[in-house]
Amino acid sequence: MTDNFDAIISRNTLFWLLITNVAILSPLHQQATLWSIGICAICFVWRLGIFLGKVAAPPKLLVTTLAIGAATTLALVSSQIGLLNALVNLLILGYALKYIEMRELRDVKAIVLVGYFLIGLTLLDQQSMLNTLHLLAVAVLNTGVLISVYQDKSNKVANLSFSLKIILQSLPLAILLFVVFPRLGPLWLVPNMKTAKTGLSDEVSFGDISKLTRSAELAFRVGFDNPDGSTLGPANQDLYWRTLVMENYDGKTWRQDPSIQQIQRQAYFNKPKRQAPNNVANASSKKIDYVVISEPSHQKWLYGLDEAFSSNDQVVELADYRLYSLRPVDQRMSYRVTSYPETIMDLKLDSHTQQLNLALPANSNPKTRKLGLQFAKDYPDPQARINAMMNYFAEQAYYYTLSPPRVGEQQIDDFLFENRAGFCAHYASALVFMARASGIPTRMVTGYQGGDYNAKAGYYSVYQYMAHAWTEVWFEGQGWQRFDPTAMIAPQRVLDGFDATFDSQSSYLQDSPFSTLHMKQYPWLNELRQQFASVDYYWSVWVLGFDEQRKQQVLAKLLGDVSSTKIALLMIVSFIIIALVIAYYAGLFNVDRHQDPLNKRYQLICKRLAKKGIARQQGQAPFDYAAAVSAHLSTLSPQVAADFTALSNAYVALKYQPLSESQTQQQQQHFKRLYRRLRLRLLRN
Amino acid sequence: MAKSTTANKHSSAIYANGAIKPSRLRRLIPASLTQRWSRWISKRLPPQKQITLSHKGIFILPSGFGLVWIGLIVLLYLFGTNYQNNLVIGLSLLLASVFHTCIIYSYKNLAGLTFNAVTPPQGYAEDSMPFPIMLTGHTRQNNPDTTHQQICLQFSYQRHVRVKQMHEQTIAIVPFEQPKRGKLNPGRIKVSSYFPLGLCRAWSYVDLDIHHVIFAKPEMCDIELASHISDNDNHNEHGKLRPGVDDYKGLRSYIPGESLKQVAWKKWAQGKGMLSKEFAEPEGLPVWLTLANTSGNDIEHKLSKLAWQVDKLSQSQQIFGLILDEHIINQQTGEAHRVACHTAIATYHAPTNMNPDVNPSNVAKSSVGEPS
Repeated sequence: MTDNFDAIISRNTLFWLLITNVAILSPLHQQATLWSIGICAICFVWRLGIFLGKVAAPPKLLVTTLAIGAATTLALVSSQIGLLNALVNLLILGYALKYIEMRELRDVKAIVLVGYFLIGLTLLDQQSMLNTLHLLAVAVLNTGVLISVYQDKSNKVANLSFSLKIILQSLPLAILLFVVFPRLGPLWLVPNMKTAKTGLSDEVSFGDISKLTRSAELAFRVGFDNPDGSTLGPANQDLYWRTLVMENYDGKTWRQDPSIQQIQRQAYFNKPKRQAPNNVANASSKKIDYVVISEPSHQKWLYGLDEAFSSNDQVVELADYRLYSLRPVDQRMSYRVTSYPETIMDLKLDSHTQQLNLALPANSNPKTRKLGLQFAKDYPDPQARINAMMNYFAEQAYYYTLSPPRVGEQQIDDFLFENRAGFCAHYASALVFMARASGIPTRMVTGYQGGDYNAKAGYYSVYQYMAHAWTEVWFEGQGWQRFDPTAMIAPQRVLDGFDATFDSQSSYLQDSPFSTLHMKQYPWLNELRQQFASVDYYWSVWVLGFDEQRKQQVLAKLLGDVSSTKIALLMIVSFIIIALVIAYYAGLFNVDRHQDPLNKRYQLICKRLAKKGIARQQGQAPFDYAAAVSAHLSTLSPQVAADFTALSNAYVALKYQPLSESQTQQQQQHFKRLYRRLRLRLLRN
Repeated sequence: MAKSTTANKHSSAIYANGAIKPSRLRRLIPASLTQRWSRWISKRLPPQKQITLSHKGIFILPSGFGLVWIGLIVLLYLFGTNYQNNLVIGLSLLLASVFHTCIIYSYKNLAGLTFNAVTPPQGYAEDSMPFPIMLTGHTRQNNPDTTHQQICLQFSYQRHVRVKQMHEQTIAIVPFEQPKRGKLNPGRIKVSSYFPLGLCRAWSYVDLDIHHVIFAKPEMCDIELASHISDNDNHNEHGKLRPGVDDYKGLRSYIPGESLKQVAWKKWAQGKGMLSKEFAEPEGLPVWLTLANTSGNDIEHKLSKLAWQVDKLSQSQQIFGLILDEHIINQQTGEAHRVACHTAIATYHAPTNMNPDVNPSNVAKSSVGEPS
């Protein structure tokens, strides 16, 4: 209705707005287009000019024109930069333009609200703990702007400290709400950020994975939940994180089959799920439970061991036993997986899949094809044939290298018979090609192999350089079986992890000189690195990945068994405690606590006298009151009257008369003595 | 002392007489409801000379900005849910929690505040009438965050005054624009505050049981004196005292350089110091101001003219009496006499009810020149 404030924006507010403006916009520099940043910079400089009194406020027409122009341009380029980016830019521009044309306090409030929303947008892709703390500080600044509107202070720091106080006092309730508040699935489809994709690609040609092996970036982390409480996962040679299955080969590049791509495209509407084996008859099979926290890859494929299932409603299960996200992984995403390493994948193959996994491009790699046919002749049993092929890699002089020599038109022929040096993708391609040529359905699988175990926090880190390619061969009665030809050439890589095979300096750290993985050489630095990594892991698990299941876990720990009445009780009790604590710090309860003891004692006596029927009038001077008391009590109890007169004298002397130190002490003792005596006397009568 | 400012509400319409028009929304509320509300509030917060605010009298509701804030919380929650981002959800919950903290702070900002009405100065009708109100805080002084601040005081439909920062005791001058003559009960003071973030408004209605006589608006005119009782002289100078030598008027302290003849030596001999004898002589006979003799179109005009003459005569220390129909004030001079005359004029057939809480139209309507 009506605002009780003068319409002038105070200088403190303007000052804090200047700082907040930069603090809010700077973390968004990645999403902002170049010209948005330009306009923001102009607005800031102009505002700074206004603040310093160098320039006048811009004419309204100019600001309106700029706003309309910017909105139109954004609408036009929105398809190019993505809808969400366009929205972010629109908000950034609105923020900057409103900032420059603000005249009233209403405008300041609007700016502050948009500021909070921009902080929210920043949180979409900056989620590390440090980023969160940074943005919390920005939120404190933003709140400080509001406080400077309502708190009249010439001291700017007081605004900020009060803002910090309010935010800190609000944190406990926010955390409580965070734990208890229901987590819902996404309510409707929202646009995504358009960013460069990282990690595995859906095509593999020679040389692709070698790019990844040069990256020391984290791909994902895994925490195993074993029934016995340990966090150790399967052995390194069993950690094959399946990500993509490639069935089509055109002589150069491995790709997913179009039918699978079709299913992936429609995954959002069909939500394909597989039946978990524990629903099927043979429930005795081994089961592994774990949580994967994926770093943003801006892709939709997820990571899982063997036959993977997930109950997460954002994750679907594809027919090739992989997991697939409904939305691109634009922010850290955590999902629970249950894997069944011993169940058979595809006991029967339909004819289409069989055809697909036997198909080879015509006229490609004739030598390899010939070798495959030779194997078929020598080893009629498919299982023995594949083993022979694997041994072939071990027995012949093949080398594992991350910088293989160039290959010509007939890639696999060149690799297998000329270069004899390559990495996982080369060996996997060769094996698939040979096996298919010999008549065994085989496919290429890409993903990650291995994981760095952090013993402190109990989780595995999988880095981009652990990207790997291997094969799956289908046998009658056994389904798809994993064969990794790379293990034959460089068994250490699979058994002990990537770092055992390669000097890290020459491979994945070559392109990232500042990576913390450099610290691995120094034990105590490595310790520190692991500490940081553990904190970040806990952050990801307990904050970023906090879901209904974690909520139940926390509540169960707090309450024993979880019931809605208990939760309600917990909420009410903590709510009251928090409110009381805030009220205490706000100064609601220290009305009497800080009163001068002299006043307190004098007033207590006055109160007792009032009960006797001689109330002290509002603002009545102590002497006048003493006179009234002695007039009233002179006959009833002259002792009290005399004492009170003396007490009043001492009170006035202590309060208003300039006394030397010894005099003060003397008077204080006198006052105390009288006070004690009077208190007793007044109690007795 | 405290800094306090008076500010116009720029958003609402202001009547020509200075009072603020009730907002459109408020005018939609039926009168019966308003009356029931004022009855309820006067039972809950009865008029008292001194009122200390407590939970009984403090109301808190979200402000318009607070509602927008809640909207932002919902928006951020939906945003965070759709993007499955716990941090955005966390931000929205933090903002919700800040709202909760603000409610406590805004309650605290009013709680414990004691109000006392200070005797207001004399005021004339259709002028701005300032009512000084003493605010006494009840918080420790060493922490500026916990002192009472940004407290807005206003009478219904009147301009407000804002106390920016409270000291232990602060006097706020609350204006009442253009009162009518007569006994004025300005009604409840609305005490409100948006501190600390403007998310919610804490407010209370404080009735300090103020009753104050507003003098009639003086209107310049010729002095029309009547020697009403002894109808023999009609001289304007009648009744005026002027320093003279005839009548002994009293003693005052001696001013060095004065004639020694006037020194009361007897008193000096008694050890009472040097005092001068003062003499005065009345000019002619004491005179009367009468309503009947005053020219004017209507009663208000006449009273206004009388008020002006009372001031004028008192200024020149003239002895005069006042006759308003049956009400007669004997001839005298001095400040007490002036106030008595003004009070009589002000309450002469004065409009009875001035409490704008009960009937806002009293203030909202123009009060000038109504035939009575």
